[in-house]
Amino acid sequence: MTTTSHRGSPNAPVQPGGGSAPRPSPRAKTPGAGPYPWAMAGSIAVAVLGAALSLNGVLRGWGWFMPLITTVVVVALTLAVLRALRAQPLLATLASFASLAGVLSFIFCRQESLAGFIPTTGTFTAVGRLIKRAAETVVSESAPVAPNAGIVFVMCACLGLLVILIDALAVPLSMPAASGIGLLAVMVVPATIKPQSVGVAGFIGAAVGYLLILGCSHWFAPDARLQSGSGRGAGQFRRSVVTGGLALAMTLTVPLVIPGFETGTFPQGSRLSPWGTSNGLNPMITLGNSLRSPTGSGRITYATSASGPLYLRSVTIDNFDGETWAPDDRAAGRRAGADRIETGYAVQGEVVNAVTSVNAGLFTSPYLPAPFAPASVNGLNGRWTWDPATLSIMSTETTTRAQRYVVFSAAPKITSQSLSQATAVPQGISEDFLRIPGNLPDIVRQTADTVTASAGSNYGKALAIQKYLRSGEFTYSLQAPVQNGYDGNGLSVLADFLAVKSGYCVHFSSAMAVMARAEGIPSRIAVGYAPGRLTGESVALVGQGSFPEYEVDARDAHAWPELYFEGLGWVPFEPTPSRGVVPEYATESSVPGNLSTNADEKEVLTTPAPAPTPAVPLPGLDTPTAGSAAVNPWPAIGAAAAGVLVLAGFLWSPRLSRTVLRRRRLSQKPPDDPELTGAKDPAPELAWAELQDLATDYGVPSKPSETPRHFSARLRSSSALGVTGGLDDAAHEAVASLTSDFERQRYGRAATPAPAAATRVAVIRESLRNNARWLVRFRADWLPPSMMRRWVHALGAPFRAVGRFGKATGRTVALFWRRLKGLLPQRR
Amino acid sequence: MESKRQVTVEPSPVQGEAYSPLPRDGAGLNGHRPHVMDAERFHDASERILGSINQVIDGKADAAKLALTVLLAQGHLLLEDVPGVGKTLLAKTLARSVDCTVSRIQFTPDLLPSDVTGVSIYNQSSRQFEFRPGAVFANIVIGDEINRASAKTQSALLECMEEHQVTVDGHSYQLGLPFMVVATQNPIEMEGTYPLPEAQRDRFMARISMGYPDKDAEIEMLETHQASSPLVKVTPVVTAADVAAMIATVQQVFVSTAIKEYTVAIGRATRDSARLRLGASPRSLLQLLRAAKATAALDGRDFVLPDDVVDVAESVLAHRIILDRKAASSGDTPQSILRGIFASLPVAQEPPGAWRRDRNSV
Repeated sequence: MTTTSHRGSPNAPVQPGGGSAPRPSPRAKTPGAGPYPWAMAGSIAVAVLGAALSLNGVLRGWGWFMPLITTVVVVALTLAVLRALRAQPLLATLASFASLAGVLSFIFCRQESLAGFIPTTGTFTAVGRLIKRAAETVVSESAPVAPNAGIVFVMCACLGLLVILIDALAVPLSMPAASGIGLLAVMVVPATIKPQSVGVAGFIGAAVGYLLILGCSHWFAPDARLQSGSGRGAGQFRRSVVTGGLALAMTLTVPLVIPGFETGTFPQGSRLSPWGTSNGLNPMITLGNSLRSPTGSGRITYATSASGPLYLRSVTIDNFDGETWAPDDRAAGRRAGADRIETGYAVQGEVVNAVTSVNAGLFTSPYLPAPFAPASVNGLNGRWTWDPATLSIMSTETTTRAQRYVVFSAAPKITSQSLSQATAVPQGISEDFLRIPGNLPDIVRQTADTVTASAGSNYGKALAIQKYLRSGEFTYSLQAPVQNGYDGNGLSVLADFLAVKSGYCVHFSSAMAVMARAEGIPSRIAVGYAPGRLTGESVALVGQGSFPEYEVDARDAHAWPELYFEGLGWVPFEPTPSRGVVPEYATESSVPGNLSTNADEKEVLTTPAPAPTPAVPLPGLDTPTAGSAAVNPWPAIGAAAAGVLVLAGFLWSPRLSRTVLRRRRLSQKPPDDPELTGAKDPAPELAWAELQDLATDYGVPSKPSETPRHFSARLRSSSALGVTGGLDDAAHEAVASLTSDFERQRYGRAATPAPAAATRVAVIRESLRNNARWLVRFRADWLPPSMMRRWVHALGAPFRAVGRFGKATGRTVALFWRRLKGLLPQRR
Repeated sequence: MESKRQVTVEPSPVQGEAYSPLPRDGAGLNGHRPHVMDAERFHDASERILGSINQVIDGKADAAKLALTVLLAQGHLLLEDVPGVGKTLLAKTLARSVDCTVSRIQFTPDLLPSDVTGVSIYNQSSRQFEFRPGAVFANIVIGDEINRASAKTQSALLECMEEHQVTVDGHSYQLGLPFMVVATQNPIEMEGTYPLPEAQRDRFMARISMGYPDKDAEIEMLETHQASSPLVKVTPVVTAADVAAMIATVQQVFVSTAIKEYTVAIGRATRDSARLRLGASPRSLLQLLRAAKATAALDGRDFVLPDDVVDVAESVLAHRIILDRKAASSGDTPQSILRGIFASLPVAQEPPGAWRRDRNSV
């Protein structure tokens, strides 16, 4: 833009012997390159880094911040240097791209690059690897993710590009206000991913940076005339600072003061997910969010021939290595066809068979929920494969959505007696289920050893671990992991959980599974659904009769450990307090001591008989927030009604304020005794203001540089008022008389009474309405441009104030600097 | 010597007589103070003058009106244009339409200051020095091709314009009322001329470029002006007393605070503009306001509108401001820069939000 090019132009050479030349009048100081590029680049760097503060929590720790600072500072410095050297704007932008590529190569691909920072073909291969790694991280891990090279590279590259974009918007394109969009883009990421949303530090950082950018661009505005209100007093400045500060403080404190931001319709930790429900690639990660979802999406109904409701198992997790646990699909070992599934290990004793008909409805996942242990699944659409090691059924080409299928399952009849007898060394299963990750935190092993110290057999150890986890020391909480920053899974999360002793099924189940392995029991975590609720309907199963129907939804999502006992196979346990159903064999009454009585030989797993433990077979109760919201509809209705009212008020407010303003202007009474008070009759001025706003509303806005007469002529010659000689003659006359009244009142010697200003305005309004198209009429009624303009002006006040503040600070600093420089030679 | 210097004083009432200092007001008005005219008579008189000028010069109504504006605002007029577009004709027509004394000075390089102001000559018979007034002693002085005279002579005239009096041998002689210098300057032929420096141009209230007439006006001019000089037909339509009364009327025009603020804002904007090396002087703002008052009076109003200021501003300010080198080389003209200033300068010196206005006035 032309204004920008002035800034960079060199000063004209001083004319020698200029005594006769007329002295130039004092002009506005045209800012040279001076401090502007540096200040602007600094502001942009502060803004981007400030906004990036909010990414702590999306990435774990602060290790990623140093490379980010390096990248942003290098790119900003490049821009500042080039702008200070008055390079072509486009050249500066291109060079900053080059410097971004250089600094990224230096940080991430130093070996592959020429001289450490010049990208080569090898660099691009490395970058490809990094991007692939980042993509894997995004897909498979949950926030906070570990700051691996891939994700940090992508983040540095994006934020470096953002610096260039903001600079391009703010400097050559002169649209500093638009740079806020870029900062917003940074903050959208934590806002959607992090349970705590953006966070105070990130918000303040971004806001301060943004205000600095605006202030800089205003402060160094090339034309003095653009700097509005430079002559305004300190009062306005103070007012603006107070306004801006109050707005910021309110934004930050109000959510803390008002109750209900952690619970209610949008409890903390339940974020909007604009991309639809989870694809279920890693059920462990989505589990927490499913539990926290207030509505309970993904309803599944099932009916079973078993004597009670069942656990539905989707997938197991058995590899406890790595930062984040994910199902191991064992793609190589999977077998096709779900109509015949074999457990692969020998089971002794009685086997209980069950038929279960499942309707997956809208639940969408590649893993098929089925009761354990499935023997065959009929009625599925698409190709499904099963894993012999875990019996998880999955499809790579279709999902569970709208599937209706029948599962025949067979599970050994497990009793505490059979369990206590199953002391043989596990055989026939993979060593994977026994492998303890190398980086097992000490607290896990210590806890496991302490808890199981008195237990002898594997069964006893398992019961001891479960008892410990179900004891009063641990509390079930969906919020505590979020608030303490260990929401997710993995070994480090586990350590945190054992320290804080509060979490939900993911934490309890993984704790038990890992502790079991530490004690030498093969274990894995099953992910699926806890037994649900009766729907009250019954479903006929082929050849089995009619059975009651149960339903589960996202709130019933659950994880539980499965431990392997030789001869019995995989046996589920329930360490999570107040969730699911504790199997009979896992209750306190079945401690190994009284096994000899042989009395409590009962069906397990499929018989959720009331247990003496605090287990409650109604999962709805342990998510009290969700439950109460569903039970009592009145607050929701009240909130909806209030929302509608607020919305209506919001939509109606422009029209209302416009009408009120018009009334107030036109109903103004003339002063009682103009001669005595010396006051002029305000009616013509007010009528004129109303005329200007009317014209603005109907598409003929007045310009500040326009004389009243000129504006009036323009209005009368525009099509908005219609042509003369017709019905609109009265309106034309009204405009002319209002104009001359206003001129006389404002510029003339004495005010003359102006009768019937209201009538004239009404006539003009009528004419404008009649000549306008419906869209213009609608806009004038509901979104009057005159009102909108005023509001936008008011909204911009804090930004202008910041600009003035920046300017004043700059002047003070410059003055101080000059004085300081004046002092220096004297000291020498 | 006299004829060689080409000083042509047309009907000068004081030619060859001993000249005595005049009272400041009422020269040629029989000592009466001018009375303020009422609006109707003012309008009538101005219409007659304009009609008289327009009948001679076709298609230049704007120039004619501005010339009359300057006369009524008691300023001086600089006509600057290429030869042959009617500069001198305009000046002469204006002078003849008003029944007052007119003198014409053809400026040449050898013209002396005393030819303009007058000279004291020793009278052998009365054995006294007698003042023989120069060409400047008239109500309307036409200075033709002022840039051909030497700087010394130019300053003599400019001094008279500023002071409204002539000082010779220690005696001050008042000039007439109305007093108006209409100078013409030819911008094309610059060889051997002394163009008026910026500081001198500041003395003229307004500068008009006549410009070529349009096609119809030119055809009409060719038809009507074939036989004889159109000036022959011009007879005075108003008396000097009328003109003095009109001037008094103009002085009574009301100027509101808003207009003064606007005028000052214009001046500041020209001084603050990055594209101008020299902005409008305080004197130019005063003259701008006076011209605006005359415009308002000619429009039949007794108060000044911003429109009046804008109307005359280009003619009043354009010859006083000096462009920056960069602006000049990029093709800007003083006119274009003034237009830019008027396009961005708010008329009401307050933000566009009307709430403030409402509050102030309520």
